[in-house]
Amino acid sequence: MSDFNPTILAFCCNWCSYAGADLAGVSRLQMPPNVHVVRVMCSASVKGEYILKAISQGVDGVLVLGCHIGDCHYMTGNHRTAKRIPVVQKLLKDVGFDERRVRLDWVSAAEGEKFQRVITEFVEEIKGLGPNPVREVMS
Amino acid sequence: MARIGVFICHCGHNIASAVAVEEVVKFARTLPDVVYSDHNLYSCSEEGLGSIKKSIEENKLDRVVVAACTPRTHEPLFRRLCEQAGINKYLFEFVNIREHCSWIHAKEPNAATEKAKKLVAMGVSKAALLEPQVESESGVIPTAVVIGGGLAGLTAAASLVAQDIDTHLIEMEGKLGGQLNDISILAPNFEKSADLLNKLVSELKKSERGHIHLGAKLVDVKGFVGNFEITVEEEGVQNKIPAGAIILATGTQEHQPEGEYGFRKAPGVVTQLEFERALQRGEVPKRVVFIQCVGSRQPGREYCSRICCNTSLKNALRVVEAGGTAAIIHRDIMSYGAAWEELYRQASERGVAFFRYSLEDKPRISAENKHILVEVFDDNLGEGVTLHTDLVVLATPLVSRDDSGDVSRMLKVPRDKNGFYLEAHVKLRPIEFATDGVFICGSARWPSSAREVMCQALAAAAKAAIPIKRGKVVTEAITAWSDPDKCAGCGNCVIACPYEAIEIVDQDGRKIAKVNETQCKGCGNCVAACPNDAMQQRGFTTRQLSAMIDALVKRALEESS
Amino acid sequence: MSDLGKKLASIAFDELGADYLLAMREEHGNVAPVMLARGQDPGEIRLDVPYQLVNILSNIYPWLKDGKVAVVTRRCDEKALEEFFKRELFDPRRILKIGLACSKEQVAKCRCSDPVPAKTHIGEPQKAMEKDELSEKLMAMPPEERLRFWAYQFKKCNKCFACTLTCPVCFCDECILEEKTFVPEPGIPPGMSFHLIRAYHLADKCIECGECERSCPAEIPLLTLRKLLAKDVKEIFGFAPGDRKTVSPLLTVLEEGCNEC
Ligand SMILES: Cc1cc2nc3c(=O)[nH]c(=O)nc-3n(C[C@H](O)[C@H](O)[C@H](O)COP(=O)(O)OP(=O)(O)OC[C@H]3O[C@@H](n4cnc5c(N)ncnc54)[C@H](O)[C@@H]3O)c2cc1C
Ligand code: SF4
Ligand code: SF4
Ligand code: FES
Repeated sequence: MSDFNPTILAFCCNWCSYAGADLAGVSRLQMPPNVHVVRVMCSASVKGEYILKAISQGVDGVLVLGCHIGDCHYMTGNHRTAKRIPVVQKLLKDVGFDERRVRLDWVSAAEGEKFQRVITEFVEEIKGLGPNPVREVMS
Repeated sequence: MARIGVFICHCGHNIASAVAVEEVVKFARTLPDVVYSDHNLYSCSEEGLGSIKKSIEENKLDRVVVAACTPRTHEPLFRRLCEQAGINKYLFEFVNIREHCSWIHAKEPNAATEKAKKLVAMGVSKAALLEPQVESESGVIPTAVVIGGGLAGLTAAASLVAQDIDTHLIEMEGKLGGQLNDISILAPNFEKSADLLNKLVSELKKSERGHIHLGAKLVDVKGFVGNFEITVEEEGVQNKIPAGAIILATGTQEHQPEGEYGFRKAPGVVTQLEFERALQRGEVPKRVVFIQCVGSRQPGREYCSRICCNTSLKNALRVVEAGGTAAIIHRDIMSYGAAWEELYRQASERGVAFFRYSLEDKPRISAENKHILVEVFDDNLGEGVTLHTDLVVLATPLVSRDDSGDVSRMLKVPRDKNGFYLEAHVKLRPIEFATDGVFICGSARWPSSAREVMCQALAAAAKAAIPIKRGKVVTEAITAWSDPDKCAGCGNCVIACPYEAIEIVDQDGRKIAKVNETQCKGCGNCVAACPNDAMQQRGFTTRQLSAMIDALVKRALEESS
Repeated sequence: MSDLGKKLASIAFDELGADYLLAMREEHGNVAPVMLARGQDPGEIRLDVPYQLVNILSNIYPWLKDGKVAVVTRRCDEKALEEFFKRELFDPRRILKIGLACSKEQVAKCRCSDPVPAKTHIGEPQKAMEKDELSEKLMAMPPEERLRFWAYQFKKCNKCFACTLTCPVCFCDECILEEKTFVPEPGIPPGMSFHLIRAYHLADKCIECGECERSCPAEIPLLTLRKLLAKDVKEIFGFAPGDRKTVSPLLTVLEEGCNEC
């Protein structure tokens, strides 16, 4: 298990989380290299379909990061994120995935350290869960 | 087939110390659609930009990917470069391998290099699907409409006409001035409110830019920034006023404390505004007791109305000044700021008595012969006190107007849980609504003193003048559009859009969604809400983002085999 | 004219004042949907064959320029109609419902938790089924086993699209599952995302009529998958589809929206 090197996708909203990730970089905060950020304008534009597709294709974990509730650049955008992600998680659980493979969190533009913490914890968690079993069971 | 050029930046040592830049360049050359790849010591330097431009021209590139720092700071620079090289600036894609890679994996060069390759592969796959965009530009009607002719509306309108902008002031009552008509003297400086009002009204009337509508009812508001149409009914006739920007200054109303402290049942119990009217008529009672926080800062209405303590201080001083006695029964005196604190000090010095009650033990009122008895358990003294008085003034909060729900629906602007209008962001975007071109000032936003109201009004006027003076509204081409062939007209997007930018229209007998580009802010909420993949956001289409996922998966598989 | 046909025609045209009647009829031994105008002979009406008439209605609705249609509606059909009314895709004034209470056998087949129409015109109301045995069995399994179960089921899929075509609340004309954007596997069986995305799309719409499961030639227990997610959505949001007055929680803001941070 120790040589398992998970592939992780992260959606970050432009205004808070992507900026938070930038801040983590500027502050040289070190974290595991497994997470690949896709920039979107708002966390609420992340379609459940992307997450389901990524998991179905074998991505080991998906993070969705947005502004804290109340701080979304588009007022109430992330309210919808907050409601959508749990449904995606439940669906994954219903078919037998570990719902921890998908995680939603809020990281503000000032929270470089939180970004580092979320990334580090998530990579650890996914390492603990092991490789996404989808390829094996569907083959 | 796209012709993509990929440029990897060393950023001096910043990237190159962790990422093997040349290896990434070689990798990029193997990616589909990539016809050219190179590296720069500093892509953003004059030399770097020059060499990228030359490569674009020499290799007839039609898409450019730069892997460097963050788009949040450097995207505009490279977009401009593309334009100079003759490529639409929306055919540029940024890959962040500094903040998101070399800086955070400084001690793992191999992993950092592998990650940089994946990020580049993702960026390239998105770039291949980018499309040229035209930024939409629309004109602005050089007129402003101010709704509400109280202190806020008058101040904003006077400022707008002073900026040479045609301004319509819509007041539903037969008279301008709003609440100030009932308030003759304004603390903390004891200025005459009539002087203030007269000055503003005459400025407005003097200018040929000012158009005052009295007894005017707001019927409907349509449109968006630059191009609103406000329907107003005057004397039974409806008029449509076209405008580029709108300022909302509809004020508040005073809470009527039905049934509390004998209000409307016993004589001698009035609200603060009623007391202001009496003072205006010159009726000053000998003994007055003020009770604060009547109907505020308690379950059901938690907020502090901010102006009532100051008003009681002012009016208690006026009573004392006329030779009477005054007492203020409060829960805390909220005389915020230096000038108001000074008023509090003056009141204490001039003999205004202060008693403090708690929410659990409110003062009690009873009538005795000609006067009123007020009993209160004073928290500071720790004992009960009985006051004899001629008049009890109930300091009640300002609350949102009964019709504010209608107005908020008409203008499509939000209110908070207390019914006050809610600006886009208290700290980052005060005075503005999230809806472009609509602004808020005065006590409709939150109970405020006259001075604060005027500051907000001037800010609102300044903001409203921006699109009008610019004469055009440009929208970044990250707006949404709905594919009419796919759209089922289910209306999900209409509900999800925080800006009410989408409507369902009839097209050849089919119902489909249509995005108003000027109203769209490009958040993509609608995209995620659309089950049909009909709704797309420019620069973030579902095909583009899906391609990024595919690229990541593909590279991860290659790596593991 | 059969007795059932007579009764139905009288409810539709005399009692409800409809111009058309949409029901199921047997002809040459085959049972299929039929749209009748006032005065036409209803023939051998069959109400014992479950069928998604709302799906049929949604296909012909754009061509029905005027008039009122009476539809034989089970409770699930009623809920499907509500989903159409909610989206203003049907005009509720033009759709009249002839309530059909499902038989005990039918209720059992659908493991139906809500089998009685608002107003029953035909049939005897039956007791609801409290649980879906397969759901319970699956959720009691270790997750890995459950994943293997579903993977086995999904691998049987031959991408015939029967489930989407018969689904009354799939509104789209073109289906995104036909495109590689979300289902990258070109062949058969489709990848996992095919079934997951379809389930996700139905999270706030599925009225549990069971038509997908009935029509699936690979016999994938699709209704169970729907029921599992429906239970989650109900638990998280207290929301269930099938009422025009409630908006999908996935589209709206949080209850306690805080804007003061
Ligand atoms: C009793 C009392 C004493 C006060 N004393 C002081 C003081 O001493 N010092 C101080 O600084 N501040 C004082 N204030 C606060 C001050 O009066 C207010 O801040 C100020 O008057 C608010 O101005 P406004 O224009 O925001 O609202 P308003 O004065 O309420 O004006 C709003 C106007 O909009 C109009 N309107 C509303 N809806 C519509 C519509 N739909 N269409 C058209 N027109 C509409 C109304 O008719 C009204 O004329 C006091 C307030 C009160 C209640
Ligand atoms: S992108 Fe956002 S603002 Fe634009 S139409 Fe869609 S939901 Fe509305
Ligand atoms: S959500 Fe999609 S299908 Fe529904 S109306 Fe909007 S664009 Fe059309
Ligand atoms: S902009 Fe960050 S979550 Fe909406």
